[in-house]
Amino acid sequence: MPFDRELLKGSIALLILKLLSERDMYGYEIIQESLRRSQDAFEFKEGTLYPALHQLHKRGYLHSEWRTGKNGKQRKYYGLTAAGRKAARRSQLEWLSFTKVVNAILSKANA
Amino acid sequence: MHLDRIVSRIILVAKLPGNNRRVEASEELRTHLEDLAEEVRSQGYGDEALNRIVRMRFGKAEEIAGAFASVYAPERLARLILQSAMFVTASTVAVVMVIGAVQLIAAICTATSVVSILRGIHEEVFGFAAVTAGYCSAYAGERLFPTSLTKAPLLSATLGVCLAAVFGWLVPQDAALPLAAFASAAAGRLLQRVEIPFVWFAGTALPLLMAWALFGPLISGWQFPWLVWVGLTVSCKALREIVRLFERLFVEDFA
Repeated sequence: MPFDRELLKGSIALLILKLLSERDMYGYEIIQESLRRSQDAFEFKEGTLYPALHQLHKRGYLHSEWRTGKNGKQRKYYGLTAAGRKAARRSQLEWLSFTKVVNAILSKANA
Repeated sequence: MHLDRIVSRIILVAKLPGNNRRVEASEELRTHLEDLAEEVRSQGYGDEALNRIVRMRFGKAEEIAGAFASVYAPERLARLILQSAMFVTASTVAVVMVIGAVQLIAAICTATSVVSILRGIHEEVFGFAAVTAGYCSAYAGERLFPTSLTKAPLLSATLGVCLAAVFGWLVPQDAALPLAAFASAAAGRLLQRVEIPFVWFAGTALPLLMAWALFGPLISGWQFPWLVWVGLTVSCKALREIVRLFERLFVEDFA
């Protein structure tokens, strides 16, 4: 089922922070990883990832550096800063409590 | 494959501040598009399908550029304000230097006391401000409405009306000359865009001639109207060079 665009847009920062909390990645890798974990359900316009990455970088949540990959290609890798790690934990908790509340409302409505 | 075209379009529309950032962002986007194209090609798609799939998965260039632009909007605005302030300061200094130099040469030629000219230069502050405001507002109008010849002078016209009100209130006796100088500088800039060489000389002359015809004898310091024209024309020439320098230095930030 395709997700609402606004819903995807609202959660993209959280997903980036979560994925990067595990290891440094470059843009294309972030897309591939989110597709793999969501079993291709989390599909969004790939170009929109970059403004989101730049926004998080500007806020000081990410650091970046150009590294040469296995095939000799230069790629810009992103990783979390200390502030980014805090933001990742905070966003995850916020999301979990938000979905808990929404689920509670939905389950009562369905009951 | 038109991957470069997609990247160029995004960078052009997003107007990212700073040359390094633009280069880095375009490199980053290009690498992503190349990876994406490679993946699609490995699935056996031909060039036509590849273009379609890449466009579909990557998204519209305008949307991505819009998102980039909003990320950097505050920084871009701050840079624009700083660069505009530098431009106005450099323009004012140039105008003071040019008109001051013209007056000094005239003083030497007419055997007038140079000291009295220098001492009285502060009285011409409204004139200097008017020339700078006239030229800079015409240039700002060009930047705001690059394709409209009718809308571009609107900013100068509006500022001219405001200045007329301010000068009329502050220096009612001496308002005519600064206002004529304002109109001359604005008209000079507008006509500098015309391809025909030296046609802008008429732009700096016409408002002065009109002011002279209407208020000639009433205007103080109007003994040498041609000298006023020379000062204004050389100022406009100097300001044009400053515009060129700024556009060269700040490339897409300023242009």
